[in-house]
Amino acid sequence: MTKPLRPALLGGILLAVLGSLCPFLWFVLTSFKSQIQVEAIPPTWWPDGSLGFYTSALIEHRLLHYIRNSVIVAGATTVIALVVATPAAYALARLRMAGKAWILGGLLCVAMFPHIVIAGPVWQILERLGGLNTHWGLVLPYVSLTLPLAVWILTTFFQELPFELEEAARIDGCTAWQALYRILLPLAAPGLFTTAILTLVFAWNEFFFALLILTDPGRQTLPVGIALFQGEFIMPWGEIAAASVIATLPLIVIVLLFQRGIISGLSAGAVKG
Amino acid sequence: MAGLVLRHIEKTFGRTRVLHDVSLEAGDGEFVVLLGPSGCGKSTLLRIIAGLEPQTRGSVNIGGRCVDALPPSDRDIAMVFQHYALYPHLTVRENLAFGLKMRGKPKPIIEERIVETAALLEIHDLLDRKPKELSGGQQQRVAMGRAIVRKPQLFLFDEPLSNLDARLRASMRVELKKLHRRLGTSMVYVTHDQAEAMTLGDTIAVMNHGRIQQIGRPDQIYHEPGNPFVAGFIGNPPMNLFEGSYRLHQRDLELRAGDLTLRVPFQAHDLVGADSGTATLGIRPEDVIFAPPGSGHVAVIGTIDLIESLGGDAVVYLSVKGQPLVARTSPALRQHAGDSVTAYMKNFHLFINENRVPLPSS
Repeated sequence: MTKPLRPALLGGILLAVLGSLCPFLWFVLTSFKSQIQVEAIPPTWWPDGSLGFYTSALIEHRLLHYIRNSVIVAGATTVIALVVATPAAYALARLRMAGKAWILGGLLCVAMFPHIVIAGPVWQILERLGGLNTHWGLVLPYVSLTLPLAVWILTTFFQELPFELEEAARIDGCTAWQALYRILLPLAAPGLFTTAILTLVFAWNEFFFALLILTDPGRQTLPVGIALFQGEFIMPWGEIAAASVIATLPLIVIVLLFQRGIISGLSAGAVKG
Repeated sequence: MAGLVLRHIEKTFGRTRVLHDVSLEAGDGEFVVLLGPSGCGKSTLLRIIAGLEPQTRGSVNIGGRCVDALPPSDRDIAMVFQHYALYPHLTVRENLAFGLKMRGKPKPIIEERIVETAALLEIHDLLDRKPKELSGGQQQRVAMGRAIVRKPQLFLFDEPLSNLDARLRASMRVELKKLHRRLGTSMVYVTHDQAEAMTLGDTIAVMNHGRIQQIGRPDQIYHEPGNPFVAGFIGNPPMNLFEGSYRLHQRDLELRAGDLTLRVPFQAHDLVGADSGTATLGIRPEDVIFAPPGSGHVAVIGTIDLIESLGGDAVVYLSVKGQPLVARTSPALRQHAGDSVTAYMKNFHLFINENRVPLPSS
C-alpha cells in the first residue's frame, strides 16, 4: 500500500530533482534558442523553437562523426568489460581460493586511483604500443578503469545466487561454463544490466583520457569533440547545448529502457551485498 | 547387483578430516538413509556420491561401475536438494526438461517423460508456472519430478523435507515411500530427522563425527543400538543413559552413577574384558513403568519433576538420586509433579568401551 507523502518530504524530493535537472533543462532550452536569444541580457527564458544550433552542430561541427567514435569506444568498452568481468566475478564468487578478500579489496583500491596519477604512465605505455590516436588505445584504459567496479558488482550478484542451482545444473549435465551461461547468467541479468549501464555511461562521458589520447579530430569522442567546439574568440553556447542534448539522449533512452532491471540490480547489490 | 558401493571413503578439508573410512552398500532398489546430527558428514558423503565433491581416499561404485573419475552428469544419478534448487527463470515444464535436453534426448521422448512424471506426481496443472508461483509443497514435488523424469539408476536426497511444515512433511514422507516402491530404484536419503529415517529407510546408517556408527534395519537400530551415541540419538524422548563404574557379581552387574546404584541381571561369561571399569547403562523411556509389574524389573524410587502430557501419552521427568530419568507412560498417571514414585525398569542396554554388550533378555 502506498501512503501519500508528507508535504515537506514531497517538497524536498521535488527540490532535489529540480536541482539536479536544472543545468540540463537550461541546456535543452538554450539549444532551441536563436543566437540573439542566447546573448540577450537580461536572459530570455523561453526559446523561440529555432533548430539552427542543431543543424549547425550536426553539419558544421560534424557531430555525427563524434557520435560514431563514441559509439565504437563506449560500445567496445562495455562489451569487453562485461566479457572479462563475468568469468572473473564468477570465479571470485564461487571458487574456494586463498586471498579472495584481498583480491576484491585490491580491486576496490585500484578503482579509487585518481586518473591524473595514472595518466602519464598510460600515455607512455600507449605511445610504445602505438595506441595513441586509435580507438583501441582509448578502449584499453577504459576497460581497465571500469573492470574493478564491474567485477565487484557482478561478484555480489553471483554470490547471492544459491550454489545448489549450479550443482543441480551440473547433475543435469552441464559443464561449469554451461551452468554459467544457461542458469547463472539469466538469473544475474539485472547485475549484467547494471554493470553494462555504468560502464557505458562512464565510457560515453569520459573526457580526460579521451582528450589525452586522441589528438586527431578524426578519432575524437563526443565529450572532447564538444569541448573543442569553441573557437578562438567566441564560445558557441548554442551549438554546445544542442550537441550536449544529442549526446545525452542515447543514455537517457537506454537507462529508461532498462530502468526496472537496473533498479532491482542496484538495490539487490546494496541491500544484500 | 549392488546399486551403490562405497569403499573406505575419506574426506579432508584442509587439515580437518570430515569423513573417516566410510564403507556402505545399498542393494539394487534399496532405500538407505544416512542419519546423523548436523555436521556429522552425511551431506558431504552424499555430495561425494553425486560427484559434487571429490573424496580424498576411497572409491564410489554405482551400478557396478567405478565412477570416481566421472563428473556428476555421467554418474547416472539424480539429486533432490534441500532448497529444491529449481531454476527460477524456467517454467516447471522447462525445469523438468532441462536435464533431458542437456543429454540430447529427442523432443517427443522429453514430452512423453514430462507427461508421465507430471501424472505420477500430480503436477500437470503446474507445468506452465514459474517456481516462485508455487507453494513449498508444490516446489518440492517439482524438485522430485526433475529427478524422476531422468530415470536415473540412483536417487540422492539431501534433507528434501526439512523446509516443509510438520503436516506436509508427514504426508510427503508417505508419498516418498510409495514412490520408492513404485519406481524400485535405489535411493540414498540424508536426514537428521529420526522419524523420517525410521519410516523411510530399508536400511539406516547412523553417522557421527564423520564415522558410521551403525548400519542396520530401523528396528535393529532401535532395539539393538550398537553404541551409546546411537542409543541416545534414536528414539523420542531419547534413551536414558547412566554412565558410571561397573562391577561384576556372580549373576548380575552393578553400575554406580553418582549416588545411584543399579543392578541388572548379567552372565559374567558374556563379557570379554575386565571385571570392573566404566560402562553406560541405557533404558528407553517406554521401558520405565510405574504400575507394579511381575518379576524381572529393577525398581528405583524417584521424585517427579515435570509431567508433559502429549495427549496419547505422557512424558514424565524424574530425579532418581540426583540422576535424571525420563519415562514415557500412559497419561492416566495419578501422581503429580513433586510426588515420590517407584519406577520399574526392564530391557536395559549395556555398553562397555563404547560397544554394545548383550544382556540376557529378562
